[in-house]
Amino acid sequence: MTEPAAPHPTRRSPERLYTHRIARWIDSRLGAAKFARTALNKVFPDNWSFMLGELALYSFVVLVLTGVYLTFFFDASTNEVVYTGSHEPLRGVEMSAAYRSALELSFDVRAGLVMRQIHHWAALLFLAAITVHLARVFFTGAFRRPREINWIIGCTLLPLAMFNGLFGYSLLDDQLSGTGLRIIYGITISIPLVGTWAASLLFGGEFPGPDIIQRLYVIHILLIPALIAVLIAAHLAILVRHKHTQFPGPGRREENVVGQRFWPTYASKALGLFFLTSAVLAFMGGVFQINPIWVYGPFDPAEVSTASQPDWYMGWLDGALRIMPGWEIRAFGFEIPNPFFPGVLLAGVTFALLYAWPFMEARVTGDYAEHHLLDRPRQRPVRTALGAATLSFYVICFLGAASDVLASTFGLSVNAILWTFRILVLAAPPVVGWVTYRLCKELSARDGLPTASRVTMREIPGRLRRGAASET
Amino acid sequence: MTDPLGPGEFPPVSARPPSTGDDVLTRRGVRVERAAVVSFLVATAAAIGLTIVYWEGGQPQAEGILLAVALGGIGVGIVLWAKHFMPSDEVAEDRHPMESSEEDVAAFAADFEAGGTSLQRRRVLVATAGGACATLGVALLFPIRSLGPRPGRGFKQTAYRQGGLRVVDEDGMPVRPRDLPVDGFITVWPDGYTDAADASTLLIHFRSDQDFQPKSGREEWTVDDIVAYSKLCTHVGCPVGLYQAEAGLLLCPCHQSTFDVMRHAQPVFGPAARSLPQLPLGLDDDGYIIATGDFSDPVGPGFWDRGR
Amino acid sequence: MRQPRLQRVLVALPLVVTAVVTPAFVGLGGTGGGSGSGDPGGREGDELIAEGRELYETGCSSCHGPDGRGVVGPDGDVRGPSLANAGEAAAYYYLATGRMPLANSEDQPISKEPAYSPEEIDALVAYVGTLGTGPDVPDVDPDAGDLALGGEVFRANCQACHSASGVGGALSYGRAAPRLTSAPPNVIASAVRVGPGEMPVFGPDVIDSHELNSLVRYVRYLDDPEDPGGLPIGRTGPIPEGFVAWLFGMVALVGLVVWIGTRDPIRQTRGSEP
Repeated sequence: MTEPAAPHPTRRSPERLYTHRIARWIDSRLGAAKFARTALNKVFPDNWSFMLGELALYSFVVLVLTGVYLTFFFDASTNEVVYTGSHEPLRGVEMSAAYRSALELSFDVRAGLVMRQIHHWAALLFLAAITVHLARVFFTGAFRRPREINWIIGCTLLPLAMFNGLFGYSLLDDQLSGTGLRIIYGITISIPLVGTWAASLLFGGEFPGPDIIQRLYVIHILLIPALIAVLIAAHLAILVRHKHTQFPGPGRREENVVGQRFWPTYASKALGLFFLTSAVLAFMGGVFQINPIWVYGPFDPAEVSTASQPDWYMGWLDGALRIMPGWEIRAFGFEIPNPFFPGVLLAGVTFALLYAWPFMEARVTGDYAEHHLLDRPRQRPVRTALGAATLSFYVICFLGAASDVLASTFGLSVNAILWTFRILVLAAPPVVGWVTYRLCKELSARDGLPTASRVTMREIPGRLRRGAASET
Repeated sequence: MTDPLGPGEFPPVSARPPSTGDDVLTRRGVRVERAAVVSFLVATAAAIGLTIVYWEGGQPQAEGILLAVALGGIGVGIVLWAKHFMPSDEVAEDRHPMESSEEDVAAFAADFEAGGTSLQRRRVLVATAGGACATLGVALLFPIRSLGPRPGRGFKQTAYRQGGLRVVDEDGMPVRPRDLPVDGFITVWPDGYTDAADASTLLIHFRSDQDFQPKSGREEWTVDDIVAYSKLCTHVGCPVGLYQAEAGLLLCPCHQSTFDVMRHAQPVFGPAARSLPQLPLGLDDDGYIIATGDFSDPVGPGFWDRGR
Repeated sequence: MRQPRLQRVLVALPLVVTAVVTPAFVGLGGTGGGSGSGDPGGREGDELIAEGRELYETGCSSCHGPDGRGVVGPDGDVRGPSLANAGEAAAYYYLATGRMPLANSEDQPISKEPAYSPEEIDALVAYVGTLGTGPDVPDVDPDAGDLALGGEVFRANCQACHSASGVGGALSYGRAAPRLTSAPPNVIASAVRVGPGEMPVFGPDVIDSHELNSLVRYVRYLDDPEDPGGLPIGRTGPIPEGFVAWLFGMVALVGLVVWIGTRDPIRQTRGSEP
């Protein structure tokens, strides 16, 4: 029989400072001192382009905070009511309870309108930040092993954010967003075999369907934000596990990470950036009017306004729908209608290519090794050129969505504009790609840097000794 | 005391951060500290201003700007503090290959397999357990069916199929031909179905000089130069709300599909691939416009079995 | 130091860009303009009509023909349509908004400064009214209209071409529906009854006189609507909003990120390590 081990002392010498006492209290219940010390001393390289993902993170935090506030006032019901509030041009007009609650929030709740506008601007900037962050990761090759999982998580966050934004502004049941839902319905039924079933189940019947606002509400405030939060947490955890990538430079090798400690400097800068991001969003929410639903009026499925566009991040899909010529496939009474190709097929191919990129690149270059040093885009001319070309394709689709507004602003024919985009969407990417390729070569030559499309081991400094798949 | 480092090398992260020295600031440091203090004070004032604005009834621009100044002031203060007064020495942390060592992987595999032998040996259990879970999983998907009705005849028919219904405006008033001037157009629905989103119809009174040519078999479908088409675009279903009276074109604002009213609304530009369905018109005994049957085709956007 | 200048530029840039871009989005619409009351009651009817005939023969008959019968060119193109059933309302609309006289009959008439004085317009309107059976200038009283009803009529009939905020929109093949704001009530009402150019005709059985009063009142309201949210940035919906998000928001945020991310090499404290 062994003696029981001497118990830990139940009382240590009393600490002088309160903060120390609290820390001790927590530590004696969690035993976290060692973990916490590692966290304090995590090293983060301090290139500014590494903070773009943080912009997205902080926008998301602002979205959640303002969003919770909005849920206290929104009524996700399509019941018909008559407006009797303070906005005179709509007094006495029939509308859904959802639309009315949005009007009341905008006109009769203090700080309601500014919260709504901050929320909407934050959504636009959330997606802009994701896009810029994705571009940075792509063009510097930060998606390579071991970061493919994080790339996949990021590529999932993008469509989740897009759809949550779309569903969010569709909740208000105004004319503009209702037109957008009509388009979503039409694209859904264009899916072969299951399209009409999918739309009927999602909307609860034929368009407009009385249930859609309530269902979108649940999806928008619960399902997708929960998924986004979990994926962001995983994204950050993996990032910490891998340590951040870094650009090549003096003293920087594959086997180390050089930068500043997390505590106090990096943490303070991150906190400061959070406050500043929120400040920019608050400013925009107060100064720039966005989504003035009282001008659009309540949704009526038989009415529509000219200049009906979705929010910017859906613009490439809407533009693709406009640019696509009127081709359909019809045989034996069955058909694959026109919207399927730009609406479903293009979107599917886009995301499939995004997901597959790290694996395709690894296969083509033969490079399966771990990489923690980033590429300068000019040193990888093929990848940079392909990325620029692809980006130009989507920019033209995006401009296509603005075709009628471009026509009326500049006094041009909308038909001529669309024909121009039809040609450009095919002709511009190769040109942009070629120009980018030559630019990369030129800039690298001037800097005296080697370029590589196929990896040769000798050119990458400081390779990890272990785990390298194709060490020569 | 750290070992001397080679050129271009950085001290390890475990080394103590350099002391930030005395509390004595350089002249520039004093200015930066002052700027940070001002920043925080301005933020405080803005926050107080925000509460006053709210208390006094609120005003969106003031709220947004004051909130921005309050948040921004704190942010600027923190960033100045971090940039100029916190240690900015660069240190290095070692990376290790992500893959675990062979010993660790082998040990894991051994433990996992040792624990898992009972799983492998009892194949019958594995098979039936898997079958039960899979079947239950499929069964749990069935409630999705309750989300909506089976896509039925409603996709291919409208309330006009009853035949003989008057067309009415959104207030339920029926329409006589003389109510619609030349070059006029109006949106109508079947009588009693003004809420039917799929039955919205355009009545257009074209001019005699516009060379209207009905599709063969539809010569009797117009009344006094008034023609009726479905208002739902055959592309993705937006209402085709723009009528260009001089040119005789219907333009859909969503994706710029354009239909020729004088040629059975066939598409002449844009992504729509099919004509707008046409509604056969007639007159009842009181001289009101009626629909003598349903539209010529299923209305709205296309779908897989639209043609069957 | 190079970095701070970059930062200053990146922070100043969004402000400059917004200041430049916002007016462009406020729109390039023509001035509604329009003078003339459309009411020739001030002078004797016959005298007015005679004056109008004189003005017509000088300024209009080359395209619209003697007695307003229209002119068709040798190749069959209509150089100027017949005015037989144009009516006072059409004459008033086109003259008061400066759309007529039109230099080139191929162009879409656009709103500009009227070529005639209000008295001359009254005379011409009276004369054209005698040529046929077209609609008279409507008697419109916006204050008798109901603003909310006007909004409903507007959204049901007008926004598809002129947009929900009345800034106008694109039609096919280079035509455009004009901006509606700052048009006087008589011009708006005349346009509704006349259906000028590509615009359809909305007769009294489609939009009755109370609805017309309400509609005109609503269109006048659109000239200076409530903007509780701040700068309206063009009233064209998500497109200018997207531009502001990128050109102001992202530029500001990236500028801040650049500022935060750069390290200051100059020491702020005595005695600290380099």
